[in-house]
Amino acid sequence: MFTAAAEGLLKQAREIPEEELGRFVSHVAALLQGRDAGAEAVDCLQRLHLVVAATKYPRTLDGKFVELLQTVLCSPKYPEQVQVLCAAILREMSPCNELILSCDDVQDTKLLSLISSILLAQGDKKAEVSAVAQRVVKVLEGRLPEGQSFRHILPVLSNVISISPVSLAEEQINVVSKKMVDWLRYASTQQGVPQPSGGFFSNPRARQPGPVTEVDGAIATDFFTVLSLAQHYTEDQWLNMQAFSMLRKWLLCYGGEGLSTPNSDDRSEMDGSVISMVSTTSTSSHLLPPKERLREKAFEYCQRLIEQSNRRALKKADGELQKACLIEAVTILDIICKQDSSYVYRTLSSLKILHSRISGDVAFARALLPLAQFFLNHSETAAVDSDAVYKHLFTEIPAQLFHNPSLAFEFIQFCKDNSQLFTDTSSIFRQSFPNLFKFLAWNSPSLISEFVDLLPFLLDAGTAIEIFHLLLDLPCLTAALDIQLRSTSLSASEKAACDPAVKPATCLEAFRHPLYKSMFQYLLRVEAAPEDSPERLIPLRQLLGSLASSPRVVQCAETVPVLLELFFSVVAEFADKPLINQLVLLVLQRSDQLYETSAFKDDVYRVLSSQLLTLCKLHPALLVELSKELLEFLASVNNIRNKEALFTHMVWAIGEYMSVSYDKRCTVEQINRFFEALEATLFEITQLRPLASIPNYAPRVITVLMTTLTKLASRSQDLIPRVSLFLSKMRMFVQSPAVTSVYCEEDREEILNRATELMNLLKMPSVAQFVFTPPVDVATTAFQRDANESLPFALRIVSRLLEGGAGFMPG
Amino acid sequence: MSPLCLLHDVGAPSLGVGGSWCKHWAPPSPVQGRAEGSGRNMPRLPAAAGRAASPAPPQLPDEPVSLQAAPGGLFRLRPGDPFSGPATVVWLAVLALGFALVCEPHENLLLAESTLRRLARRLLGALRLLGPGAEALLRAGHAEALLDRLLPHGQLLFLGEAAAQALEREAPAKALR
Repeated sequence: MFTAAAEGLLKQAREIPEEELGRFVSHVAALLQGRDAGAEAVDCLQRLHLVVAATKYPRTLDGKFVELLQTVLCSPKYPEQVQVLCAAILREMSPCNELILSCDDVQDTKLLSLISSILLAQGDKKAEVSAVAQRVVKVLEGRLPEGQSFRHILPVLSNVISISPVSLAEEQINVVSKKMVDWLRYASTQQGVPQPSGGFFSNPRARQPGPVTEVDGAIATDFFTVLSLAQHYTEDQWLNMQAFSMLRKWLLCYGGEGLSTPNSDDRSEMDGSVISMVSTTSTSSHLLPPKERLREKAFEYCQRLIEQSNRRALKKADGELQKACLIEAVTILDIICKQDSSYVYRTLSSLKILHSRISGDVAFARALLPLAQFFLNHSETAAVDSDAVYKHLFTEIPAQLFHNPSLAFEFIQFCKDNSQLFTDTSSIFRQSFPNLFKFLAWNSPSLISEFVDLLPFLLDAGTAIEIFHLLLDLPCLTAALDIQLRSTSLSASEKAACDPAVKPATCLEAFRHPLYKSMFQYLLRVEAAPEDSPERLIPLRQLLGSLASSPRVVQCAETVPVLLELFFSVVAEFADKPLINQLVLLVLQRSDQLYETSAFKDDVYRVLSSQLLTLCKLHPALLVELSKELLEFLASVNNIRNKEALFTHMVWAIGEYMSVSYDKRCTVEQINRFFEALEATLFEITQLRPLASIPNYAPRVITVLMTTLTKLASRSQDLIPRVSLFLSKMRMFVQSPAVTSVYCEEDREEILNRATELMNLLKMPSVAQFVFTPPVDVATTAFQRDANESLPFALRIVSRLLEGGAGFMPG
Repeated sequence: MSPLCLLHDVGAPSLGVGGSWCKHWAPPSPVQGRAEGSGRNMPRLPAAAGRAASPAPPQLPDEPVSLQAAPGGLFRLRPGDPFSGPATVVWLAVLALGFALVCEPHENLLLAESTLRRLARRLLGALRLLGPGAEALLRAGHAEALLDRLLPHGQLLFLGEAAAQALEREAPAKALR
């Protein structure tokens, strides 16, 4: 949009010097004060508006000029365009100290609307909101002068109650409620007449307007609503539309017992309401107080909208409006029933019929959410079973409509609003989590923060493992959904069954291929189904690798690390030891079975490795319990190459937690077994083969291995000579030509220094033992807990002791 | 807090002015002042799925731009970031322009989406947003008038096609320059 010209103008406006602005303002003042406030004045005001709007800090204009703007605004001799621009400038400058505007005594509704918009932008420091509220209600109560309309000020009222619902007193609420009843229920059902043009040939007996019509062209059968069509509308019909547009907000604020804000959780409405099957009949409704009467009329209006939404609209925009009206009507009925449970019985029956009407029609899917919310809120009151509604909502809708971003967003909001439903393990809500993840897989950027809120409710001991697999396979799910979508749009001939003997050439073919079909079905399942052998999805993951660069898959892959971290932090709170063991094993197992994009794998390894440490800290004994699997993992040098972070963290954990102080079963034999495995690995990566190059492992791998070996040796002291020998060979390693070509000087120095420090420490075995395996209670002092500080500090002290620093020791 | 309408260039998130025109119906909460949050800070738009904003100036379409297929969506803003209460943002992307409508929690999102589409279509025409010059910046009056009709004081209106057209016909015959 912003071309070079626009950018230039913007810059000018932002950077205009005060002096020049002052001159310009004087010029505008002169124009306004002169007789002719025509096109030039409008142009200058537009420019002035740009200047005021463009700067990020408030521009102060000359006080006298601000006063002039207000005068112009209130004076009828200026054209509307000028007034609108003055109001815009004043609003842009808000909050403004030089404001002298007041809405008291303003009769003209258009002017009142403009002034209100400025006053409401002042931050309510001088009770402007209350003043505006009072004035608007006063005008609404009175008679309208000729040519005026309430249409300009009703939205002001709506704005006021958003900001400060307490601005209206009870009798004012009643006044407006009564008016709303009239506008909603008793608006004219005849079309309006066009404004007479007044020319020579105009016919004073204008064509009689006909009745309003429904959206399908039929003559209107009942009272006027927003779904009634006309060529021209009367004043009360416009007010009908506006009143309905603010009805939800009004009922939320003033419809219940006492005052609420529109955004407050009005669960309190449900307590203490009398459950009654007797419905209020309309014949006696005129005897009801205003609040209850409005409720009754609102109920009738919503029922009418529901009936009107069943018609086939001739215009697409009207069809869209029908859907929006349906959602609004159901939501308002929900509010009404919360505020007066005597409405529940008669609402429930019509909404059940509505549900069966729209549940098969994907065009109306978004309306299923407020419907389900209604049943959730009120089924129990009426002793009705609505499980079929929830089952349909959670099993069918996500599978069919995951690709609709608005539905996806609203669906997840619905889940969050009703998060208590997910705590029951056996419920349909909890069991449908695979379906819910489809929304995230397809719409990751907009839904990731919603899922961060939702995930804790889905996680428990029963679902943790399945969700772990699901998270790691989330990009695969995105790819599979893509293929599913493309597959449904194929023609019948293209969908011909494929030959099982021939390998599929494309992902699309694979979708129907017998070999891959069940894998796809598992990935795209709608209900929880724990998988015993996750490796059966390996071929599918490889196949879907061809979609790894698709933008949607890439975006989804970026959300996985965040969710994994959250997953582990939640699981850590409830996981018992068997679950922790299972997770550690799965981390190691799945590290070979990840979706093949390098950025994804790196990120996942990074998260998994730090979470591995957390798990080890929670349950250090797992190192002993899973020793067999861990030894296998450590023995493979490939694991260093491909999953360095995972490997180094595992080695570090062993050094840290493999000790009898954490688990009595940690015998000397155990320690020796791990020692030998790690020693072999370190040997393999540091051996200098003639005429062969050294693979470039990160120096950290080497130093962590050395440190861990030293730690283990300090606990099983027979190993000390072996380690010392090894460490002494590091000097040779580091100085060899093969190594100097691969590692930089700093890295080599680091390796050598560490080796030397460790050797020195081992010369004082009891100190080493203390440093590396402090008793568990000592390990919790602040000093010890800071791993970054304590070990190097200890190593330095020991080194200095050994080098015989003069005066270091007392005596 | 009422819905605001903001628009800014997807390619240049630092531009603040486009949004400021239309944000007038956003009174601050009575407690905090206006400076924070009421529209000067643009809500972040998520990247339209997979599509990077094109740096080249957009081609001017000759026919009216169809917005049915325009990418769009919803996302939530948490309280304090940047508005004092929670808000939901409805957004629409047209070529290199982004339009956003900020809604309160209890507002009808489907209605907000169709309102935004209607507004965007009208704004593209009335402000000549896709034009080559800087005209768009100097038509605040048009923007105000449009918003006053379709989103008066930030109130979402349930308007059918006939009603919207009737509103258009009512606009002063002597159009703003």
